Amino acid sequence: MELHSPPGNRSAPPETAFDGQERSLVEAELVSSVAWLIRLRWIAGAGVILATWLARTFFPLTFPAAPLYSIGAVILAYNLVFFLVERGLTKSMAPTRRYTRLAKWQVGLDWLAMALLIHFSGGIESPLLLFFIFHIIIASIFFTPSIAFAYALLAILLVSGITLLEYFGAVPHVTIEGFLRQPLYSNTLYTGTALAAFASTGLISAYLATTIHERLRKREEDVVRLSRRLQRATSRLQALNEGARTVGSTLELAQVLNRLVKSTAEAMGVRACSIRLLDKTGRRLEPVAVYGLSQAYLEKGPVDAVVNPLAREVLSGKVVNIPDISSSHLLQYPQDARQEGIRSMISAPLIGKDGPLGILRAYAVEPNRFNSEDEEFLRAIAAQGSIAIENAMAYQAVAELDAAKSNFIRIVTHELRSPVSVTQSLLRTLTAGYAGAITAPQKDILQRATRRVEFLQKLIDDLLDLAAGKTDIKAFEEMESVSLMICFERVVKRFELTAQEKSLTLEMKSDCPQRYPVVMATTEGIDRILDNLISNAIKYTPAGGKVVVSIVCVDDEVQISVEDTGIGIPEESLSHIFEEFYRAPNAREIEHEGTGLGLTIVKDLVTRFGGRVAVESKPAAGSRFTVTLPLAVVDESERRLT
Amino acid sequence: MDKKRILLIDDDPDQRLALRLPLESAGFEVQEAINSSDALARINEIDPDLIILDVMMDTTTAGFQVALELHSPDPASEFKQFRNTPIIMLTAIHSTTPLRFAPDADYLPVETFIEKPVDPETLLKKVHELLNGQ
Repeated sequence: MELHSPPGNRSAPPETAFDGQERSLVEAELVSSVAWLIRLRWIAGAGVILATWLARTFFPLTFPAAPLYSIGAVILAYNLVFFLVERGLTKSMAPTRRYTRLAKWQVGLDWLAMALLIHFSGGIESPLLLFFIFHIIIASIFFTPSIAFAYALLAILLVSGITLLEYFGAVPHVTIEGFLRQPLYSNTLYTGTALAAFASTGLISAYLATTIHERLRKREEDVVRLSRRLQRATSRLQALNEGARTVGSTLELAQVLNRLVKSTAEAMGVRACSIRLLDKTGRRLEPVAVYGLSQAYLEKGPVDAVVNPLAREVLSGKVVNIPDISSSHLLQYPQDARQEGIRSMISAPLIGKDGPLGILRAYAVEPNRFNSEDEEFLRAIAAQGSIAIENAMAYQAVAELDAAKSNFIRIVTHELRSPVSVTQSLLRTLTAGYAGAITAPQKDILQRATRRVEFLQKLIDDLLDLAAGKTDIKAFEEMESVSLMICFERVVKRFELTAQEKSLTLEMKSDCPQRYPVVMATTEGIDRILDNLISNAIKYTPAGGKVVVSIVCVDDEVQISVEDTGIGIPEESLSHIFEEFYRAPNAREIEHEGTGLGLTIVKDLVTRFGGRVAVESKPAAGSRFTVTLPLAVVDESERRLT
Repeated sequence: MDKKRILLIDDDPDQRLALRLPLESAGFEVQEAINSSDALARINEIDPDLIILDVMMDTTTAGFQVALELHSPDPASEFKQFRNTPIIMLTAIHSTTPLRFAPDADYLPVETFIEKPVDPETLLKKVHELLNGQ
């Protein structure tokens, strides 16, 4: 028996939000109608019994009451069975088709009961004839129009059958005495007219009821479909928003790609998603991120952007929906896709500012999974993803460029260092007179040359440090717990003599709850930071001034500051002070030679140790550099060792 | 007393000159080797009292290889007679890299390091220390 199927089951893809566990609205209606019909039947059965008794008791009617009482009792009896079955079905959350079967039984038995009732209440003369109309209306609520009409026809056949059988005397006619002056069942004209009237009323009722009901049902389906679409749209918007947030929260290309495939698959509720990007040749599409696909499928073979028909189409800017992979001529590897359990896929182009970047693709295990809504959705995600991918690529390119630059500097300075170093050795040997006595003017020239070469050496060393910091990541992987106090004492001691010679006060202060604050860094790095800051402070502070080096612990951070009463840094120079090779004009006046790399190195190291550096200064009053580093978590046993 | 003999192993002729002049004027006999293999080939013949060795020559750790060969504890070593000959290793201040290749931080196969650029006074001081301490 064909019943109204729930909306969406016919052609629309299965809804993930409404799985088999949940009943559709139409199904729910059938289930509740079955119960409603059972409730009505109690009244009907009781009604038959009551009406028979009333008719016999209060009206001057004579008719065999026993069959009518029996029919009423039978109706009540089978309704009790239906009632129990229905309760059982409800309790066990039975599938809808069992309710359908129950409805079928109900209508069948009711039809039989109606036929008997009509026969025993006078056949074509029965006043109950019209009750069949209700049944026809009820049937049209339950079943599709064709079934409802079939039931209407069955009712007409049943009534006609009874009428004809009685008319020809095959079945004895039951006469209700006192109802009609003379029996009409054998009156051909009456019988014909009454049958025709009943038949047309039945058919018209069926037609009206099914039409109205069908219309209501359609509207209901529309509402259901719309509400589902809305729900899907909402969840997609949420997913899109979520995706954009997670994708945008990083500039690491691999992370951007991985988040994009994952959030796309989740938002569309499909098995898998992948991204292929064009390689540098612009020809091959390499899988760069994947979610829900096997390694074997990824390695199925090269995807050539020029040869592969699907890739060509997508890269030209189209969203391509392949409803069934077995009937598409666009696929290069349909066999592999089938083996992977994929039945349909949809691909959208990832397009950057300067042209296509690659392809975003979603895969489903069912055929016909994607509709035009999905096409628009994937296009939107791909557009959003393209921006994130391009940003990450640009970021990566900048980082690579920076590393390449640093590497270049490293190579060049390595090559420079050896000759400069040898030149210095030679000059020293010469100046010291080991190559023969030298005159005073010669010595002066040699000393000048030595000074210049020494500066060159310093510049090379600084550059090398800076480049090493950016290229030699390995050195920073070897970070360890460094005790700041030990570094401080060592570096400050180194400068004591210089400070004394310049009549400067060099002071050291510490305000930390723990005796030995520890940071994650490298000892050389911390030494270098302190060395550069303190040497600057001493260099740019006039005689009689003061340099204060202090350590202050604030929460889980430590602030190292180097403060002086020196020449200060002009306002306009402050923002450039950490730039490579930058030197403030007043610093140049005091110290002709300077690489302008010291503070850049400080900043680079501090950043690498997870900290930050700040400067404040007042010209002619002094400067203060503050380095903030996260304190390392050190357990007590380790702390005792330090 | 015979002049003490110093073997200078460095692939840079200018560096060798810068070292040789102060050493000679301090009264040492200086022999030169232009690389590791040259040094190892001729060391028995030269029979030095002290060796000055550059770390970076053909490779960044060539100097270490030479030092390890000469100071090898293996009794069958070809160079066992130099096991106790002091070695001064020349390093660049900012190149910590070769030091990382040292077999063990506690066991460096050399007696002392001198940083490049070389200060002649420092060099002579270290040489004297090592030779007089022997």
